[in-house]
Amino acid sequence: MKTKLLLLLVPFLLGACGSNATQEAAVSTPGILVEDAWVRATTGAKDTTMTAAFLSLTNPGDTEVKLTSATSPIAAVVQLHEMAMQDGKMVMREKPGGITVPAGSHTHLSPGGDHIMLMSLKQPLKPGDEVPLTLKFSDNTTHDLKVPVKAFTEEEEHYHPTPSTK
Amino acid sequence: MTTRRQFFGYAGAAAAGAAATGGAVVALAKDSTTPEPVSRTISPYGEHQVGIARGAPASAELVAFRLATDRAGLGRLMRLWTSDIVALTDGRPAPGDTAPELAVPNKGVTVTVGFGPRVFDLTGQKPRGLDDLPVMKHDRLQTTWSGGDLLLMVGADDAVSVVHAVRRLIADAKPFATPLWRQTGFWDSTGANGEPVTGRNLFGQVDGTGNPAFGTPEFDDTVWSTEDGFRGGTTLVVRRIRLNLDTWDELTRSEQERAVGRKLSTGAPLTGTAEHDELDLEARDADGRLVIARNAHARLSHHSENDGRRIFRKGLNYVHDTGATRESGLIFLSHQADIAGQFLPLLTRLDAVDALNEWTTTIGSAVFALPPGFQPGEWIGQSLLS
Repeated sequence: MKTKLLLLLVPFLLGACGSNATQEAAVSTPGILVEDAWVRATTGAKDTTMTAAFLSLTNPGDTEVKLTSATSPIAAVVQLHEMAMQDGKMVMREKPGGITVPAGSHTHLSPGGDHIMLMSLKQPLKPGDEVPLTLKFSDNTTHDLKVPVKAFTEEEEHYHPTPSTK
Repeated sequence: MTTRRQFFGYAGAAAAGAAATGGAVVALAKDSTTPEPVSRTISPYGEHQVGIARGAPASAELVAFRLATDRAGLGRLMRLWTSDIVALTDGRPAPGDTAPELAVPNKGVTVTVGFGPRVFDLTGQKPRGLDDLPVMKHDRLQTTWSGGDLLLMVGADDAVSVVHAVRRLIADAKPFATPLWRQTGFWDSTGANGEPVTGRNLFGQVDGTGNPAFGTPEFDDTVWSTEDGFRGGTTLVVRRIRLNLDTWDELTRSEQERAVGRKLSTGAPLTGTAEHDELDLEARDADGRLVIARNAHARLSHHSENDGRRIFRKGLNYVHDTGATRESGLIFLSHQADIAGQFLPLLTRLDAVDALNEWTTTIGSAVFALPPGFQPGEWIGQSLLS
């Protein structure tokens, strides 16, 4: 998905940097667009005190923007996480500095990749619920979302790997 | 060029900022020297649900649901479905999609949502005329194909996109609603040279010629409700009509044409030469007989014979196989602002005397209100539920 998006981005940038660059600059910098948000239900999960939120971020502007933090009243702790190789093992860890959305591009938060980790949940989440989620960005914008809870359809380990390898 | 459109399509469909993406539009449009490819991605946003005022899709599935939730739950389902619909019609996977590669752009995906009469017990304010149709004399209704609290109709240029979208929407509806019946159909509205045509049912008849034309005041008056709280919505009648192809095939061509009052070759009225020629309901042949018979389908359903009442109807052909046995038929779809005021009198008249009744049997019947369309940031049914 990332590769495809980078390829798509090239003509877009060429267009933006062409003879109309001056006029382009006069257009006020547009903000981040948030789409396709969902939270994984805890029903059926091994650990029902934590889950993750996934979504797509689009940055139509010409400067990089970072997702710097997220909060939700249903979770005592909310962190921005990444999956990374560490000592030959895939681990999940807090992403330092937040999640970057490059200028004129998309960033997808998805199972197996960057995600918003909701921990110390105050209640179990079942499919069909809706949870409030607030996103804060480096351009000082805030997005208040109402996010649907969807069924747990992949193995838990995809976004929350077991600590030991077989 | 295609790649640019795809990129922009993603950003452009975003819920948040029409103004924000405006800048990107300018940058792209000024640079375009190559011809625009024909996009088959249909924006889900509009005053009306966007699957309605267009021809029947090549491939479609209708799913009726039994609702098992309250008003608040119905609102959550509508918000959930809206976000799925925005993604799937744009060719993106629905959030949490388990088979994301099956979501493909440029497939003409549309999703239409409807509420059955019982849902208005939750919302109040039932649209005028939205009641289950009385059973007609010729009806042989099966519960398998009748009724329902919610309707989904997914259409696309190909069946893979339809099946995938339906699967996601049913999976996400699971906490709220259970499928009651499902009907799959197909329609060919493209002629031999790629030109748009009305399309034919499995009897071979050109089917749907009498419709009001899109974008005319006649169409708007026929289809869209102006009722407070339901303005921009419409109603849909779904009738599953079994066609007896075997006995139909025993007729001569002229007997088949007399039953409808139109020529099989072009769909022209028996009194005309081109499909859209007006019917001459008074014309008589050399023997003094009416050219378009008293019981011909085209006469009986003509607005001039029905106090000016009109409907906008579409068809989807269907086949239903049980082992080696095939049933063939038509999923008849009729849009009108008011079912009791427009459709029911017409149906009653056709049931009484339509020549086609000999070869057709309605085996399923359901009625739905289709709420108005939605804009970015809004959700389907919002005006009825919030």
